[in-house]
Amino acid sequence: MASRTHLAAAALIAPVALLVVATFVVPLAVALHTAIANPEVRETLPATSAALAGWDGAGLPPEAAYAAVSRELADAQERQQIGPLARRLNFEQTGLRALLLKTARAHAGLAPPYRDALAALDPRWADPALWRLLKRNASATTPLYLLRSVDLTLTPAGDVARAPADEAIFLRLFGRTFEISLWVTLLCVLIAYPAAYTMARLPQRWANVALTLVLVPFWTSILVRTTAWFILLQREGPVNALLLALGVVEAPVAMIFNRFAVYVAMVHVLLPFAILPLYSVMKGIDPAYARAAASLGAPPWRRFLRVTLPLSMPGVAAAALMVFMLAVGFYITPSLVGGPDDQMVSTFIAFYTNNTINWGMSAALATLLLAATAAIVVVARYALPGVSAKGIRL
Amino acid sequence: MPMLTCTAKSKTLATAAFALAALSLAGTPHARDLMIVGFGGGFQDNARPHLFQGYAKATGQTVKDDVYNGEMAKVYSMVKAKDVTWDVIMVEAPELVRGCEDGVFEKIDWSVVKKDKFIPGGTSPCGAGSVLWGVTLFYDQNRVKDGPDTYAKLWDTRTYPGKRSFRNGPKMTLEIALLADGVAPADVYKVLATPAGQQRAFDKLDQIKKDVVWWKSGTQPVQLVGSGEVAYAVGYTGRIARANDGGAKYPLLWKTLVYSVDYWAVVKGSPNAKEGMKMIDWITDAKPLVALSETWAVSPANAEAAANPKLREKNPAMLSAYASQGLFIDTEFWVANGEDLEKKFNAWVAK
Repeated sequence: MASRTHLAAAALIAPVALLVVATFVVPLAVALHTAIANPEVRETLPATSAALAGWDGAGLPPEAAYAAVSRELADAQERQQIGPLARRLNFEQTGLRALLLKTARAHAGLAPPYRDALAALDPRWADPALWRLLKRNASATTPLYLLRSVDLTLTPAGDVARAPADEAIFLRLFGRTFEISLWVTLLCVLIAYPAAYTMARLPQRWANVALTLVLVPFWTSILVRTTAWFILLQREGPVNALLLALGVVEAPVAMIFNRFAVYVAMVHVLLPFAILPLYSVMKGIDPAYARAAASLGAPPWRRFLRVTLPLSMPGVAAAALMVFMLAVGFYITPSLVGGPDDQMVSTFIAFYTNNTINWGMSAALATLLLAATAAIVVVARYALPGVSAKGIRL
Repeated sequence: MPMLTCTAKSKTLATAAFALAALSLAGTPHARDLMIVGFGGGFQDNARPHLFQGYAKATGQTVKDDVYNGEMAKVYSMVKAKDVTWDVIMVEAPELVRGCEDGVFEKIDWSVVKKDKFIPGGTSPCGAGSVLWGVTLFYDQNRVKDGPDTYAKLWDTRTYPGKRSFRNGPKMTLEIALLADGVAPADVYKVLATPAGQQRAFDKLDQIKKDVVWWKSGTQPVQLVGSGEVAYAVGYTGRIARANDGGAKYPLLWKTLVYSVDYWAVVKGSPNAKEGMKMIDWITDAKPLVALSETWAVSPANAEAAANPKLREKNPAMLSAYASQGLFIDTEFWVANGEDLEKKFNAWVAK
């Protein structure tokens, strides 16, 4: 009998399990793989890679490598396959793209010995550093994308080094992303708590009205809500007009394309995600506890601090986690109402995915963002008071 | 009742028939309509009757069109998955060059598409020129009587107070900084290819950084100037001209033109690749483009249409007429340096 129940249980869980595998585990595995995969040199220059495999990296490689490289480059260009390789090596070292294309175009006019012919075409072919770079990238995986995502890089020799200061942007970007997300989370919980508290104590009829007021913006497109803030906050927008008319300010205040606008719009967009879990938890708190505390002589502030607040902590944790995790991935809102110093990691994931088709870089950034978020959530689970005591298991 | 008594045999038959149908569907490249995809907006709405359906009428081929926003990820996925549902697509120059090397676009069959009808720079191994686009400096004459008419003057914040708006990215913005610093248009990319030249561009931008509002999408500059959010902006000429048609007073300062070409390309592995080439040839001919100019101010990459006096009169903002005054964006430069400069720009802008 037992095995039968187990089978039935497994069958019931199967759809959900499959969904999780298909929509979470598989994409995650693909992203992780893309972040370290390094197929370009191996696939486009197989003979060159083979010739370099036996080379010890000292001095210049054998003639076989020289003979193979220009032939394989020309072949790849003919088959329209040179792009990924050119982009991959240019990512490693700016300028290599032009060198590869030049070599591919020149191949038909080159004659052996190719070592001299290529050196004459471009002195970089006579530099062992370039060949060491090629040899290093004949391996199936590379740490470069992940390194670049934390402002590190590889020297031609393959050592890890700091990225030049004028290109080091990602650590700052991650810091900014989490800073914005944490402030938005804090603001959302602070605003949502009294709102949910009040809603939970309203008569049912009015609670329903309040719930509708929360849900209508929740169902409205995030783009529409962000654009609304864009219109409200602009220089000649209604908010500035009101402030000017009231004489609060003398000249229009810059309220858009800065951090202020990002906070306002993000808090507005994410507020329902904080109110709803808080409301559902507070609704479940038996008012008898507060009455019992009152009957024992506790004043209102103590009733709140000792009874209501601890009992509502699971709601606070759920609200904070929900808001934080959504905020970390925000893209549209900072991009529309923020300035250039308010963009978050997702902006760059989209940039590498769509603009430069550098999917290794977008996968590496996405992986790090996910790992960092997971770490923060795990830490928060232990740090938030009263959370682990009651519910909210992650 | 017959439903319930359905025998195992007939069930098997039905399954087999279904599998067969599925196989034949998957196996043969089913003849679907020709799908042409552009950036949407007014151009596409007007190109639909004159170019897309004009071709359909001329050949009897059913043509449908769709819109994308220039993001290449979808095209790459389509080609990778060998499930190509777009045939002809409008692309910007860097995406075209990259996609050509990546095998995402078919090489243009120049025996079908007549190569000699295009303006210089209007053809590429995988693309045939569609329209020119560009940006210029502009401002609202209702707010500013006499604004700057060169980039050098735009940097003079004392004579010309107020915010300026540039594209939030290195492309076009760095070129403009060098132009403002007195670099001749012909030397801009030579200078920008060197680290010292890049530093020079960023140093120049530093001078006005606190007065800059950065825009991301093409609709923003006109909006920003129109709402008084900024005093001057660098924006797309097509949108500026259209705002002027709508009653705005934005002078088009052609001396500040920075421009490029959008191309038609055929997605690699499209079952309609041959038909796509024929369509590209038809929609880049002078005749349909002149017809299109009746309802839409177009800047075609077709030399004959671009020289057509009627067309020039219809479109006072026709780019090809001012190309000699402007800077042609170097596609190869941006394909090679775009990622690096994007990072440098972001590091600089956040400083």
